[in-house]
Amino acid sequence: MTLLERDLQAPQAWRGNLPVTSRYTFGLAGERFFRALKDKGRIMGTHCPHCDRTYVPAAAFCERCLSELTSWVDVGLEGELLTFTLLFADSDGQPMEHPELVGLVAFGDGGLIHKLDVDLDVLEIGMTLKAVLKPKAQRTGSILDILHFAP
Amino acid sequence: MTSRIKHFPGTSLSEKDFAEGKVLFVHDQLKAEFAWDTGIGIGAYLASLKRGVILGAYCGHCRKTVVPPRTVCEWCFRPMSEYAPLKDTGTVNTFSLCYVTWDVQRIKEPEIPAVIMLDGASTLGPASVVMGGIMHKLGEVDPKEAKIGMRVQAVWKPEAEREGAITDILYFKPLIEKEA
Repeated sequence: MTLLERDLQAPQAWRGNLPVTSRYTFGLAGERFFRALKDKGRIMGTHCPHCDRTYVPAAAFCERCLSELTSWVDVGLEGELLTFTLLFADSDGQPMEHPELVGLVAFGDGGLIHKLDVDLDVLEIGMTLKAVLKPKAQRTGSILDILHFAP
Repeated sequence: MTSRIKHFPGTSLSEKDFAEGKVLFVHDQLKAEFAWDTGIGIGAYLASLKRGVILGAYCGHCRKTVVPPRTVCEWCFRPMSEYAPLKDTGTVNTFSLCYVTWDVQRIKEPEIPAVIMLDGASTLGPASVVMGGIMHKLGEVDPKEAKIGMRVQAVWKPEAEREGAITDILYFKPLIEKEA
């Protein structure tokens, strides 16, 4: 029990906004991966000869044996759909008018998570999907240089 | 760099490398909005600032006045007895000459953050714990003239512009007291 009374004109809450900005660089392997996507329209991976694994997106080091990866491979634009999900809420948790289809498309021993442009009638795990890229002039060196994956 | 390490491994980047597109990057801005519940004490404090009054709270048992007001006494844990409107004059307890702003920009004229012991608030708590002071800025003062112990007075925003915030006080300026 307090003896001090609430001031009826007092604000309920102090509101603010933290001005937090960030600038993310992709690292040595990431830089080369996105350069290849931007300039050549290619999806690149790195191969570890010791473990016989191909990392996509490209990695600088093998996560199994920790050796440096110097062998770069073009894994093409077509991959197998490993899994998918239908999103009804956006990244802020707000309901979306049109649900969005996203999936994991396998390349090498890795894969890319991206939007899918596939009819739900024909959608199935294991189908082959191809990356649809932005026109070269519009590419910025981001994962969004791939518009989506389609059959 | 340190005295022992002259060069760190890795790829150093300059602002120029980003501007010239030598390196790819993603810019992001977090949506970091917050609402902090003012509670009874701070709510009354902010509402009073809008009215041009610095509000404290008085504990009748300990006979101490704290600012900003708390609902519970920090020494005896009893409820505070009453609000205590304070004068907007006080004494500089400590200050700093700050040549860097909060977002790390260099400035020529220093800001002078200071702890100001307000007249009417208690000065010392148990074991010489300093109390009864608020953190604010000094203004209208030559940085060379700032002194611990100098008398100061609040300079308020015009009443129409006040919004119930500590910034309703623009700064504290030196107080020239008339000899009685």
